Amino acid sequence: MLSLVRSRRRVPSLPSSPRPSSQSWEEGREGRVLLEARALTRRFGSFTALDSVDFDLRAGEIHAVLGENGAGKSTLMNVLSGLLRPSAGELLLEGSPTRFDSPADASAQGIGMVHQHFLLVPPLSVTENLLLSANKAKGGPLSWPITDVLDEAKVLAEKLGWSLPWDALAGSLPVGTQQRIEILKALRGETKILIFDEPTAVLTPTETPELFATLRQLAAEGKGIVFISHKLDEVLALSERVTVLRRGKVVARLKTAECDAGVLAEAMVGRDVIAPSPRLVPRLPSSPDAPSSREEGQPNPLPNEARVAGEEGRRLSGGEMALTVQNVTLRKLKNISFTVAPGEILGFAGVDGNGQTELADCLSGMSKPQSGEILVAGAALQPSPKALQDARIGVIPADRQKRGLALSMTITENLTLGVQDSPAFRRGPFLSAKALRARAEQLIQRFDIRAEGPDSAASSLSGGNQQKVVIARALAGEPKVVVAVNPTRGLDVGAIGYVHKALREAQASGAAILLISTELDEVLTLSDRVAVLFDGRLMGIVSPQTPREELGRLMGGAA
Amino acid sequence: MKLVACVVGGLLLLAAVILAAKASPVAVALALFRGAFGSKDSVANTLIQTTPLLLTGLGVGLAFKGKLFNIGAEGQFLLGAVFAIWAGTQRLPAPLLLPLALLSGALGGALWAGLAAALKLWRGVQEVLSTLLLNFVAIQLVAWMVRGPLQEAVKQYPQSDKLAISSRLAFLWPGTQLHQGFLIALVLAVLIWAYLAKTASGFALRAVGAGAEAAEAAGISVAKTTWGTFLLSGALSGLAGAIQICGVTYFLADPYSKGYGYTAIAVALLANLSPLWTILTALFFGALTAGATEVQSAGVSSVVIQVLQAVTLLTVLAYGWLRERGK
Repeated sequence: MLSLVRSRRRVPSLPSSPRPSSQSWEEGREGRVLLEARALTRRFGSFTALDSVDFDLRAGEIHAVLGENGAGKSTLMNVLSGLLRPSAGELLLEGSPTRFDSPADASAQGIGMVHQHFLLVPPLSVTENLLLSANKAKGGPLSWPITDVLDEAKVLAEKLGWSLPWDALAGSLPVGTQQRIEILKALRGETKILIFDEPTAVLTPTETPELFATLRQLAAEGKGIVFISHKLDEVLALSERVTVLRRGKVVARLKTAECDAGVLAEAMVGRDVIAPSPRLVPRLPSSPDAPSSREEGQPNPLPNEARVAGEEGRRLSGGEMALTVQNVTLRKLKNISFTVAPGEILGFAGVDGNGQTELADCLSGMSKPQSGEILVAGAALQPSPKALQDARIGVIPADRQKRGLALSMTITENLTLGVQDSPAFRRGPFLSAKALRARAEQLIQRFDIRAEGPDSAASSLSGGNQQKVVIARALAGEPKVVVAVNPTRGLDVGAIGYVHKALREAQASGAAILLISTELDEVLTLSDRVAVLFDGRLMGIVSPQTPREELGRLMGGAA
Repeated sequence: MKLVACVVGGLLLLAAVILAAKASPVAVALALFRGAFGSKDSVANTLIQTTPLLLTGLGVGLAFKGKLFNIGAEGQFLLGAVFAIWAGTQRLPAPLLLPLALLSGALGGALWAGLAAALKLWRGVQEVLSTLLLNFVAIQLVAWMVRGPLQEAVKQYPQSDKLAISSRLAFLWPGTQLHQGFLIALVLAVLIWAYLAKTASGFALRAVGAGAEAAEAAGISVAKTTWGTFLLSGALSGLAGAIQICGVTYFLADPYSKGYGYTAIAVALLANLSPLWTILTALFFGALTAGATEVQSAGVSSVVIQVLQAVTLLTVLAYGWLRERGK
């Protein structure tokens, strides 16, 4: 893996002069400056999270803040929204120096924040949630201005073209609607500045454009929008200016119109955009699914059902398959059959919510299928976490902070999870601390987990390094089958490259890999074959070279 | 810095309370110290008070570590006492009686906690609720026992017969009332520490507490671990009740507990759920309890001691909050 990293570093990193396009920066002055930060610094102990950061936001613009996980984006936003106080530097609100003593103070001064993780009370109605965040300064402690709040919210919602179920319980609503409630909470008559912390991370692909339309409309009304993201395409599509952070410093201030994804990515990570992780081994002969016609991208003449049945029919007989799934049905998932050969990556594409969760649950041992069979190397598997360990199936779960890690435990302890019953690490009822620690140190080395040491808490790691711990656990036992579910969700470019490379290495060592991901690009670049799920059904298994239009049709349910 | 501020703030608050009661804070402090550590007897008394607090504190801390909010140590303590007095007064060979009484006490506590575990795992009842309510059931159970099945043979007072000498815990420190139960509690604190830190089962307990879903996905049975945690936690509190019977009172009366099971929550939280620190925090609360009588001689109600306990806990919570907020 080292060689790969090195090859990527051939591209020289950004020159030390941090303003590659200060020219255009100056030219771009239009709109009055709403908020300005000068030499903002924030330290946590000896760690400097923000190092003399300058930032300004003008009325009517969408200003993106881009950076890897841990670059300081969240710290900057927390300072701007009053959650954290700066260690040094000053804040100017419409030209006059100010300070925010608390989020409520910042909000009173016209700054609204929409958090990535919603701060709604699920069992309360939409209106009650809005009331909770209403301006407490108005009225006495016993005032209950529910009609005022509702009226104000209705006016705002109408302006934005939303119709919201005001009496529905917040927890019962789709994520996109919950986000709209959050936006309404942040928006008040006097709100001039809105900060969005990775607002698309939780949205479905159809909800994202709707959010973007909202952001544009808010900007058009003269509000200043700060848009935090690490998704380059979103930043390019939405923002007028970009401030790029790296290791707590501003490394670039750009006009979006003058840059492309490559420029942004390079500024962000100091190296060029992640190249598709190349195969480390040639296609195995045991991967009998590559009819040359499809490799060339020609649409298959057979109808989908027949194609699946025919192809899988041929493959199912093979006892050499690492993983065989036969007629599996679970809740939404209906009668799914496929096989994965050793050394093969089978990708599952499809819009989230079409059976991926159920498939992942079956194959990670969290649920048993209602009917159907799962065979590993020809032997039937009754899915349970334990059975999966015994069958040497490594799982990279979708929710790494909940299902992947016990965040308050140390790295060593997290790496112990899963081998706590293995005789190699036991002496009677006792865990063999020495062996476990040695193994942890070895895995930290091998998977390049950046941490202070094996005893740091998993919660202290950046997202990418947390995922490395999860991957280390999944791949440590040289698994025969790897089930990876959204393995790069929420990770920055560098970490994504790492994850892809790790999967490639597992593939090269002969593991059959099942990749379930909502990132179509990821599925297409990594997979040998691509299966498409729609409404719990397998629409087809096609070559990754299949034209996107056809994939889109399959993902949309068209036969 | 923040710690100093918290401690000073706590002391000032306390001094204000004592001044409001028209007494001298210094005199109260001296009386408290005298009551807790002033003589051989008072030291022994402190350690006697420490013993049930340490065991119940260990039990509560263990459950909290597994993210099970067992606040029913009081009830589990009482069940332990009931089981112990019942077993200790059986007609059996004398050498068997003491171990049998202690084990029965642990079993009683485990059963009582097991009820809460069953309610949680089979019916989804929050353990905060079930363990708390079971405390009141246990109080009534004791009241009935000492008026019914376990009442003394002469049927005069609502209390049980006394344990025979052979069923009692021996004294540890000649000339005082300190019994071997204190030693048992100390040993158990170390054993529980080793259990949590060194064994696979203790690791499972901590993993389930730190992230149940991650533990389940890693092949640890959350249900089994939850059962184990409840039973062990209840057994420790039950053993505390049994030791109180076999080492201090020798009979069951109504009411029986001085609220050890509730103080145990403060003991465990103050120790940050660490078994070894629990020794110190239990000792602290034990000293406060033991010193309380002497405080009355300084002209203040011993309720001041409860205020002191509350202020201590508030100080610790305030410090934790400040540390969190300063980030």
